[in-house]
Amino acid sequence: MQHRLARFDRKVTPLLLVAPFFALFVVFGAFPLLYTAWVSLHDWNLLEGDQGHLGLANYGDLLTDPRFYNALANTVGIFLLAAVPEFLLALGIAALLDRPLRAATWWRTGILLPNVVSVVAIGLVFGQLFSRDYGVVNEVLGWFGVEPVNWQAKTWTSHFAVASMVLWRWTGYNALIYLAAMQAVPGDLYEAAALDGASRWRTFWSITVPGIRPALAFTAIAGTVNGLQLFAEPQLFDAGGSGGTGGNDRQFQTLVMYLYEKGFTHFDAGYAAALTWVLFVISALFALVNYRLVRRFVRSA
Amino acid sequence: MRQIVRRTAIAVAALIPLAACSPGDAGEKTKLTIATFGEFGYAPLIAEYEKLHPDITVQNRVTDFDTHHKGLATQLATGHGAADVVAIEEQYIPQYRKAADKFVDLAGYGARDLERQWAPWKWAQGTNGAFVLGLGTDMGSLALCYRRDLFQDAGLPADRDEVAKLLPDWAAYAATAERFTAKTPGVKFADSAGTVYTAMLNQSPENYFSQRDDSFIADRNPSVRNAFFLAGGIAAKGQTAAATTFTQAWNVAIKQGSFATVACPAWMLSQIKEAGGDANRGKWDVTTVPGKSGNQGGSFLTVPKQGQHPKEAYELARWLTAPEQQKKLFLSDGILPSEPAVYEDPEVVAHTDPYFGDAPTGRIFAASADQLRPNYRGLRDADVRPEFGRALGRIEDKTDQSVDQAWAEAVQQAQAALK
Repeated sequence: MQHRLARFDRKVTPLLLVAPFFALFVVFGAFPLLYTAWVSLHDWNLLEGDQGHLGLANYGDLLTDPRFYNALANTVGIFLLAAVPEFLLALGIAALLDRPLRAATWWRTGILLPNVVSVVAIGLVFGQLFSRDYGVVNEVLGWFGVEPVNWQAKTWTSHFAVASMVLWRWTGYNALIYLAAMQAVPGDLYEAAALDGASRWRTFWSITVPGIRPALAFTAIAGTVNGLQLFAEPQLFDAGGSGGTGGNDRQFQTLVMYLYEKGFTHFDAGYAAALTWVLFVISALFALVNYRLVRRFVRSA
Repeated sequence: MRQIVRRTAIAVAALIPLAACSPGDAGEKTKLTIATFGEFGYAPLIAEYEKLHPDITVQNRVTDFDTHHKGLATQLATGHGAADVVAIEEQYIPQYRKAADKFVDLAGYGARDLERQWAPWKWAQGTNGAFVLGLGTDMGSLALCYRRDLFQDAGLPADRDEVAKLLPDWAAYAATAERFTAKTPGVKFADSAGTVYTAMLNQSPENYFSQRDDSFIADRNPSVRNAFFLAGGIAAKGQTAAATTFTQAWNVAIKQGSFATVACPAWMLSQIKEAGGDANRGKWDVTTVPGKSGNQGGSFLTVPKQGQHPKEAYELARWLTAPEQQKKLFLSDGILPSEPAVYEDPEVVAHTDPYFGDAPTGRIFAASADQLRPNYRGLRDADVRPEFGRALGRIEDKTDQSVDQAWAEAVQQAQAALK
């Protein structure tokens, strides 16, 4: 009897222990995903519900929709504009923090601060900084004789402003992850390099960076997924508020903003659902490509 | 035994929330929620209503315009979370009228008996045949708000009757913009092309859609074209501050005195006061709008079906929109009544606003309301309207688009939006 109970315990208890996660995943992960797929196959009005089966027509429309490609290009553009400097800056900051410092904990906590500030607060503050008529950025540019820039009005100026918000928010977070990884790089490698007379610059690129590859891979994938889902920063930057479309020419409308416009301004839930799935596939592809690239990079080293 | 105890416990637990809901419970108050956006001025009225009805408590949820209306769509779609009484602005009425099955037909509580309270066009906007979707709150009669001091600086007449004579129609408005800019190039004449355009559109009986069969006529309706080219022309000449209403830029422009005129629906006066602050007291004045009249905005109180207390919700909506309350709202907050008996009330007509140089706002808005020709909004108005607004915005953004190009693109995008 006792033996049987013990066996039962060994078999079932672990399952019970992980069950809450799976239950939550089914309710908040799998179900919405599948339900969205189902909605995307219908002419579905947000208010009136199902208006009839359409098959793949929503997807067909999406792939010929110039606004979809405009949003995709904006999203990727802002992502690259933010990610490249963010990556390099985070590496530099992490390297600085990895050295013996006075009040090290204070500095290390401090760089995470932008990440814990509410994104709405960041959006409001940057919106003021980049304001056309009274913004600090235009004020400073004015000292050098630059005419006031209407940041929202043009493609590259708006992308620059939105990318700066992303950069501000995520650089510290990435730096902290790199820092944690750097502290796990074995010290004897540095000693060996020092004995061989390697410069600090050489040591950084030949020992530190290869040593933190898993962290680089993680931030590359997480950053890509975050970047493709960019929404709050550009939406808050839009003078039109939540009714806006990323500028009068949609010059900074991202994919999720377009999704929001379709679903919640035009109540076209079917189309928005199709867009969600396409976004999901794009994210998965990007993550896969990044993962492959990083793995090859690790092996070849 | 243990099993029985547990079952009983579950049964009891399940009953508790039911008990809390049952209306007959002694000492339990009925809780009503009312969702509004912006400024409805309801706080003192709600306190009064609770005093009149000791068994009812009312909670007012206030959000901003877009969040409010988008949130309502989600709440209706999921069947959860909508307030007992929900305000809907006139622009959104066609969209929600399509989802009438999600709302209580107020005719079932005798709302049709109230019909004669409202101006006929206001009543018609809130109904769909025999179905009564909402009871009218305020309306947005148009006037022209202008900066008396800036008019003087530009050598223009500044007295409100003379300004009305100077600006009988929008062509005169555009010509005056030229004169004004020539004298004071540092200040813009209008706040945005969108405001001018919207005011003009709201003066024509039809705009994007035909009243007869709801077909798309924006491409050949002279009213739309004229409004677009006049507003676009002012924008192309850089005579607007390119500040859209409800934005931070607009508030700043008011505060800094960056523009001299704005076509103002009645509800905008409180926004000008708030943005302008004490520093601008007495600088603004109000006069008749070019084209004499027009309506922009105004809301309705509706009762979504998902609420627990439709009867009580209707009673609250009826009371809040009744003539006595509309009058109080005008005298306290300048919120313009949509009921002729109220806006023709001597006390309302005699009302002046000290912030606007004691302008007789009661008389101006009542006159505008009297001459009003209601305009028809198509069922898909909300899908095409923003395209024209953005096209004017592109001209103001200086994106190398001429007025002709912006117009062609707006028409083409509006047609694409309807597919």
